[in-house]
Amino acid sequence: MALASILRNASRVQAGALPRFFFKPASVAVNRNFSSSLCPNYATFNKNSNLNLGLFVPHSKILIAPQARMMSGDHSRLWPIEKALSVSLLVLVPAAIASPHFILDNLLAVAAVAHFHWGLEAVVIDYARPIVVGNVLAKLALFLLYIISATTLGGLIYYNVNEDGIGQTIRQFWAIKGSGKEKTADSSGSEKK
Amino acid sequence: MATFFRLGSRQVLNHFLRNEKVGMLSLVRPVTLKAQPACPPKEMGHDERNMKLGRPQSPHLTIYAPQLTSMLSISHRATGMILAGYTIMWGLGAVVLPDSIPCYLEDLAAANVSSILLCGTKFMLAFPMTYHFWNGIRHLMWDMGLFLTLKEVYATGYVMLILALGSAIALVSM
Repeated sequence: MALASILRNASRVQAGALPRFFFKPASVAVNRNFSSSLCPNYATFNKNSNLNLGLFVPHSKILIAPQARMMSGDHSRLWPIEKALSVSLLVLVPAAIASPHFILDNLLAVAAVAHFHWGLEAVVIDYARPIVVGNVLAKLALFLLYIISATTLGGLIYYNVNEDGIGQTIRQFWAIKGSGKEKTADSSGSEKK
Repeated sequence: MATFFRLGSRQVLNHFLRNEKVGMLSLVRPVTLKAQPACPPKEMGHDERNMKLGRPQSPHLTIYAPQLTSMLSISHRATGMILAGYTIMWGLGAVVLPDSIPCYLEDLAAANVSSILLCGTKFMLAFPMTYHFWNGIRHLMWDMGLFLTLKEVYATGYVMLILALGSAIALVSM
């Protein structure tokens, strides 16, 4: 009874310290005026639901560090861009190799790095989870990924500007003939005489 | 609620006998409550909650039978990671290596490597590319809402494998 009166008046009170106990909220439609700044350790509660799943969590002696959740905002803006990039790569990779050109090489470099950056980011977020590797390592892995992507892009553009370019180099490598092939070429050449 | 418990005690009986002014209000112990907004229960993920409860994890990867769907999917990720590795090695190598990459390629050409080794290396470079390429198209088709039934997933999966292997062999023979 006393508990119910507290809850009914809760929204009107400027509160202080965190409660030291977990209590089961009454099944009354309470005003969801939670000020999350007062409860710094808690994630923002779903304001749309009026249903309170009263979790009886005993005051746990297991002190696990508050898990960082690696969900930084909305991915829905990025998704179409990622897909557009994938489609562009379908065109760029064959084109840059088939007819090497400075512009194509650089477009390929940028597109390839962006594509693998987003792909590896998904891999890192899926596998280097805070619950598995700890909060620090999870953030560190993502940070390292940014470093690697930036460095690779720099290296590829440097290569395009100062050396032969990506497309030309692939063609050059593919043109290398092995020792076995030369023999067969000679034999077929001599037969043609 | 507390009031009812107090009603049954001996103190309450004495209080009734002694006091002249008896009313319900005199039974109520003045209590000062520190009311505060209820803090929502801490939202923790599935893994965290179950770890706190000390529960073991159910076997999953160790018991689930491999299927075309899952194997092709993880291979798409694997080939993507391989291609990323090649790209990273190129980008870093271009800056870090003492000689230029074309220089190394000329040395390789002059070294007269066996063609089997050369074909093998070309295949290691080409196949991840072709697999990721054709499976990437399959993924983009799914994103457009096509070929999403299980039969179609299997059919396109086999088609993709044939295309990937075929185009890799074709590229290597060029």
